[in-house]
Amino acid sequence: MKRLLLIALMAVPAAAQETRIASDFEIAQMKQQIERSRDFVSQLSGHLNLGDLYATRNERATAVARYSRALEIAIAERHDARRDSDMTRYSTATSYAALAYAKLGRRSEAFTLLEEAIRFSSDSAKSWNLYASAMSLLGKTPKAESAARNAVTIAARDVDKSPTVENRLDLALYQYSLASAVPDADAERLLRRVTESLRSAAFDPLRREIARTESFEIYSSARGDAAAYLSLLNRAQLRLAALLEQRGETESAKDQYQRVLETRTDDATALSALARLSRTAEERERYFAAAFEANPFSLSLIREYRRHLDLKIDVAGTTTGGRMRAALHQMARGESRAARATLDDLIQRHPDNETVMQLRQEAESCLDCTGLRQTIALLRSDRLTPEQRAALDRDTFVSTATFDSATLNSGQTVFESGVIDGVPFRFPEPTAFTGSFAAGSPLRLTYRILGATELRGADALLLEPLKLEVRR
Amino acid sequence: MKGLVVAVIFAATSLHAQVVATTSRGVAVADDQKLQLFDNSRMMWSSTGVSAPSRIVVGRDRIALLDSLNNRVRIADLATGRGEELETGETPIDGIFVGRDLFILERDAKTLERFGPDGSRNRLALASDPVFIRESGGMLYVYSRLEGVVQEIAPSPLAITRRFQLAPFASDFEVAGSTGYLVFPREAKLRLIDLTSMKAAGDIDAGAVPVDVSITRDGNALSATGVTIADPSAKRIWTIEGRQSLTAAVTRGFIRGLLGLGLFAPRSSDFPTGVDRVFTDGFAYDTTTGTLYRSRRGNVRVVAKGVAPYGFAVTNRGIMVWKDGTLHLLE
Repeated sequence: MKRLLLIALMAVPAAAQETRIASDFEIAQMKQQIERSRDFVSQLSGHLNLGDLYATRNERATAVARYSRALEIAIAERHDARRDSDMTRYSTATSYAALAYAKLGRRSEAFTLLEEAIRFSSDSAKSWNLYASAMSLLGKTPKAESAARNAVTIAARDVDKSPTVENRLDLALYQYSLASAVPDADAERLLRRVTESLRSAAFDPLRREIARTESFEIYSSARGDAAAYLSLLNRAQLRLAALLEQRGETESAKDQYQRVLETRTDDATALSALARLSRTAEERERYFAAAFEANPFSLSLIREYRRHLDLKIDVAGTTTGGRMRAALHQMARGESRAARATLDDLIQRHPDNETVMQLRQEAESCLDCTGLRQTIALLRSDRLTPEQRAALDRDTFVSTATFDSATLNSGQTVFESGVIDGVPFRFPEPTAFTGSFAAGSPLRLTYRILGATELRGADALLLEPLKLEVRR
Repeated sequence: MKGLVVAVIFAATSLHAQVVATTSRGVAVADDQKLQLFDNSRMMWSSTGVSAPSRIVVGRDRIALLDSLNNRVRIADLATGRGEELETGETPIDGIFVGRDLFILERDAKTLERFGPDGSRNRLALASDPVFIRESGGMLYVYSRLEGVVQEIAPSPLAITRRFQLAPFASDFEVAGSTGYLVFPREAKLRLIDLTSMKAAGDIDAGAVPVDVSITRDGNALSATGVTIADPSAKRIWTIEGRQSLTAAVTRGFIRGLLGLGLFAPRSSDFPTGVDRVFTDGFAYDTTTGTLYRSRRGNVRVVAKGVAPYGFAVTNRGIMVWKDGTLHLLE
């Protein structure tokens, strides 16, 4: 039986063709695996991967159903293993049950089971890695770091004793997990070590196997060494690239993203990043188009796209990704009726998708955005009547706003600019709001309109913020 | 509190965090953000708890409720329930009171922290993965799992006095007199450490996968310390005599005190499912099914099913089980 290796991250896309979403392939593969193989590892990894794949497409209800099924499978395996007096199996099943609880956000149960598993297998790097992954999911970073360090210590001892491909791969995997839980400088050092190790001659046999089987799929729970190698290399390069980008090393970051595309031409994260780092509008739109084909429903991609949205470009929506971009353009232009029609069509095709539903709700209230667009135009052309000007000075508005970036400082969050229904806005100066808010999350903003301005070369509204609340 | 019940079958086992412990003033229960003390059927007091209770550390006049997940401790006065909640280092996993001082082992911070009754706090750095803390002769002993080290610590001033390199990955550590007992599941061994000399005091093969050890009888003039080991793989518990000094053994009329030479007679009990935790008075627990058993003279009976992993405590009146907001006295 193939061993199961957990790559501590949510799964992202795979191979795309003209009208297929990248993760469609992995979803089909996993469904096939669940139907054909009845063993624990196949069933468990199948449901966990499906959960992760649906989660990246923002189909949360389907993802939860898959995680719940994985939990049932792991709990049944725990009981069977105990009945069969197989304590290693028991400990592994307990760790996976904990991971499923973590994916379902049930912290206390996850922690209880992780501790139970470790009682039996504190000598197992795999158990510690599962511990670290579950703690990362629950936002318990120091616990994740400690567990990941234990995994690395144990795996390094194993490599010293027996430097097999399998042991080296395990060590790289645990170093990658550790990199997800430590400060950036340490993470970069670890990720460089991981990527160098994976590209070394020690992994030639695995690479030959991958070439022979034409494997390309990326999973968070990988069955077998070849699948784990591909997924780990993909994740490590993406994470390293993101760190370089954060530090302003744009060219090095682009190189890393390109390396990701060498093995996965349709990696949505890499494509989106390359769009973000593009020098020309054409190049940016090309990368965005490819990223939307790979994962049309990624909220982070949509945020990114809205930030760089160029209304001069016409989008022809024949594929799902194309339709999504078209809907975003229509919303940004205030073409609410057209946007609703495009989104209704997408809902027909993807009825469980929460991203589309969310955009549809936004489009419903897009009368506001038409109004805001018109207001900008009137302000720009100075065509407001004295009555309209007085009303604008007097009235307060309430909208759902998404901010570009946030600075947290002593219990306050500082915001400067963002988007309301596709309409960019900024404040006269960075403004501190009491409480902790996240950039990119929809928030309820009460404001006055001060005038028209520019934001990153595009027309925008100048707003006076009056109140910011979490959207209920 | 319910009356004596021979066997109670509860609903499915809950993994919801709840902890029960015996104190000098009654039974303490932590559940649902509350910490309560019961004396027989009467609730003595109820105070604020923690969100994910993991362990209750019992002292003479105070108790400490640990929340390992959220790095919190609530220290409460046993008489009144009044107390305070404090933040701890990462993952408070075990603790002990020595006099009025509370010592908490913060596993993922690799520290031991002393909480004085006057609010003072001191920290001491430890070896990697410290998981068990025990006391003997006024000194503290901490076992660190990843490094396989036992560190001896003076409580005041807080300092490491000696260390002994044993073996990594023990799953339990108990102390009786001046002997420490550690079980190693993968190697299927019970290892002993002489805490006076801080030297190994032998080891024995202990079943297939021993995971828990309990001092089930204190040594006295007539009998040696009773040590019980839970082996869920063999679905057995093993009861053996602990280490004896030559003088004690001679006094008892036996020359069988030198553990490691096989000069003691193990007794065992078979369980329908594998138990992984053992207690005094023959009580044993299977975490997977939440089943509590009692073993007496080789006979094993189910006491209750569907019991949460830390939702019970052995008292001198029987075993107290917390279930659905009620404390049950069983056996």
